Amino acid sequence: MTDFHPNALCFGDEFPAGGVPCLVHVETQGLTIAFAADGNQGQAEAVPFSSVAVSAGGLDHDQLVLSWAGPAGQRTLYLKNSDVIRAFRQAAPDQLTMPLERAVGQVRRVRRRHRMVWGIAGGSLLALTLGLWFGNDVLVELAVDRIPIEWEQKLGESAYRDFLTQHEVAKDGPPVDAVTEMTHRLVSQIPDNPYTFEITVVKSDVVNAFALPGGYIVVFTGLMKEAERLEEVAGVLAHELNHVLQRHGLERIVKQLGFIAVVSIVFGNQQGLGQMMKQLGVELMTLRFGRAQETEADLTGLQLLHRAKIDPSGMITFFERLAEKDEGRVEWLSTHPMSSARAERLKDRLAGMPEQSLEPFTFDWSKVRAALGAPTGPGL
Amino acid sequence: MKSEILYPGAFPMVRIELAEGEHIKAESGAMVACSPTIDIESKMEGGFLGALSRKFLTGEKFFFQTLRASRGHGETLLAPTVPGEIVILDLDGVNEYMVQKDGFLAGADGITVESQMQSMSRGLLSGEGFFILKMSGKGMLVLNSFGAIHKIELKPGQEYIVDNSHLVAWSTTTSYNIEKATSGWVASFTSGEGFVCRFRGPGVVYIQSRNPRGFGSWVRQFIPVSE
Ligand SMILES: [Zn+2]
Repeated sequence: MTDFHPNALCFGDEFPAGGVPCLVHVETQGLTIAFAADGNQGQAEAVPFSSVAVSAGGLDHDQLVLSWAGPAGQRTLYLKNSDVIRAFRQAAPDQLTMPLERAVGQVRRVRRRHRMVWGIAGGSLLALTLGLWFGNDVLVELAVDRIPIEWEQKLGESAYRDFLTQHEVAKDGPPVDAVTEMTHRLVSQIPDNPYTFEITVVKSDVVNAFALPGGYIVVFTGLMKEAERLEEVAGVLAHELNHVLQRHGLERIVKQLGFIAVVSIVFGNQQGLGQMMKQLGVELMTLRFGRAQETEADLTGLQLLHRAKIDPSGMITFFERLAEKDEGRVEWLSTHPMSSARAERLKDRLAGMPEQSLEPFTFDWSKVRAALGAPTGPGL
Repeated sequence: MKSEILYPGAFPMVRIELAEGEHIKAESGAMVACSPTIDIESKMEGGFLGALSRKFLTGEKFFFQTLRASRGHGETLLAPTVPGEIVILDLDGVNEYMVQKDGFLAGADGITVESQMQSMSRGLLSGEGFFILKMSGKGMLVLNSFGAIHKIELKPGQEYIVDNSHLVAWSTTTSYNIEKATSGWVASFTSGEGFVCRFRGPGVVYIQSRNPRGFGSWVRQFIPVSE
């Protein structure tokens, strides 16, 4: 048993389904097959070439399959060993050469096709990785374009659910009603919207709001408290909605981790990837968008407010007022650095927009503020 | 190296005895207990990106641990995460198996593990992602399943159709096609897309009696979600 080195698997009716390991030798007139199994090493089965049929088989179609009707029944031999295959090709008679060459050709074609597929896949992967590495935004967008919305939702949803379990969620009340109505108004103005937006108000004094990939938006009561007018909250919502619509989160993730990482996160249900997912969830919350992305969210947000018949100037005044606050208290500023250029750009754009009649909301903003515990009254 | 399945059935463990210098590869997180003579080497170095690129470039899996009896003879107890049977296969140098990534528990040092990406379309369609492990070489291979492990034996040319999410391992002498499940097949009710593998013998296919994805979505309905 110790010096028995099988080089093939033999299948037959009375053999186990996994095949029996055997040692194949190619002789001038045929094959000899030795089985080590039940101690009869010496007994080799001789198979003349004349009784053998040849084909290619196996998982990747890369094994040489020989079959024949032996005295003990039908036998099938699976060969992978290249030395044996070469010897067989040299020794096999003419009547076998044709189908054999065809089989070998088939194997070669499959291998070549595999190599080509992998070459192309590997090449484009490398190009993509390198491109991402050097921050080629075109490649990022190309990759992001290929990611289905459902994947994006999977990415965002688990981070969202995770976040919500760790925070106190406002289930109802005037602030929730107000945010819901504003979101509905805005979303109804998005043409061909592929997302189902989910929005949650979190009870926290932190002045923040964020959007996760896939359409999950969180607004903190602390941010609502800072808003003097409802249009200011609507401005933040419009901005965050556009981060989702422009797939900014996904672009950042792809840029940071690479397309393949996204693919493996979505498809992997493996432990390591689960942990990775958690880690990523943390990153998603504190995701800093690029300056170009912020500008895009600002400007498309402004247009969205305009279409939804909500006064867009609230967005600008809110941004300006938040910027005057102590930076440490306003979480939103850490991901949204405010600059005068930013406000000016928005004002410019707003000035160029056609007049739009405004449509009031059904909720009473002073009641929302009262529910939030913010100062109310005519002085505001 | 000696191995033994303890508590066969739904909640088994496997005990592996290692002589000094021997080592095994184990799924990270599989180790329950071990002798103090055994060192654990984790392969996840250089962070996720490093591990990922290494995985794709060299085929080395980043979710493996190496358990090495570097300071003398010892034993280790391994258990899978999910309830289900363990089966030990013996690779003899000729037979090779493809193993679905969650099905691998441990392998002897003589076993070569290649993480093969399936051909792109196969991988994307089969819902198992790209991670299929090819096991070759000589020695013990320990597989685990979700539920019981069932062995399907195929004669040359014999065909059998298996729901994708029930696959654990299959020998490389088989060939298979992935087909879209017809309405009669309930594959994974999370994704709604059902895919089945049509295997063709000769060879052996190991399947698991429960579907982890299906179980996951079944459990999920009982978890309250705060809105
Ligand atoms: Zn922003």
